[in-house]
Amino acid sequence: MAAHIAPAFRTPMTDLVGSVMTHQTGSRCADFEMRAMECLEAYGVQRGRVRCVDYLDDLRECTFKIKQLARVSEMRVERHRQWLMGERSSEDHYAPPARSDAY
Amino acid sequence: MAATPTQDLPPKGGYAPVNFTRIPARSYFNGYQLFAGFGVVSAVACYMYYKTYSLVRREDIEMRSGRLAVEPLLLAERDREFLKQIRRNRDEEARLMANVEGWEVGTYHGERIYKTIPSERFMRSSNQ
Repeated sequence: MAAHIAPAFRTPMTDLVGSVMTHQTGSRCADFEMRAMECLEAYGVQRGRVRCVDYLDDLRECTFKIKQLARVSEMRVERHRQWLMGERSSEDHYAPPARSDAY
Repeated sequence: MAATPTQDLPPKGGYAPVNFTRIPARSYFNGYQLFAGFGVVSAVACYMYYKTYSLVRREDIEMRSGRLAVEPLLLAERDREFLKQIRRNRDEEARLMANVEGWEVGTYHGERIYKTIPSERFMRSSNQ
């Protein structure tokens, strides 16, 4: 985690305010973060960067949604490309919308 | 010697007496009757209000009971529709990206989204 900013000295004050901005407040990434932090605590930061890279990558994916947004963007481009090239008719350009009383 | 000027004098014998006694208005009810009337009208109104308020409360209870009874059905319907829409989205993605090389439905060019979550687990892509 290149952007891991940790205080130089750990005091009770840093422990107190260290948990102000985490994902633990019921967010979708709470479990991801907990797994990553527990792994880092077990191995330490230096070894943990190598050993827990899967957990850290999943936390990053959950936080920033990199792959999911890339998927959406690529599908959108593909849909418009198909319409431009004539592979998709104008009626079929977009999928029908969801029902408005679903989520 | 000038002629005597004409003056506007009272008539001989003076004016007739002026009747300045008071004529009070005709009163139909005295004070006690008025208070009694107020009490009677208030009592009738109070009774009618009580009846109407009881009816309103009964209707509120019925409406609330109905709404509580129906709410799980509505939530279940909404969840079912959500899952059906997710399925339709997946099928639409399969149809859309059928000709793109290396694309597997639900992944990013074959790369799984989450490495530590099995593929069967349903992860909602919402903010919560």
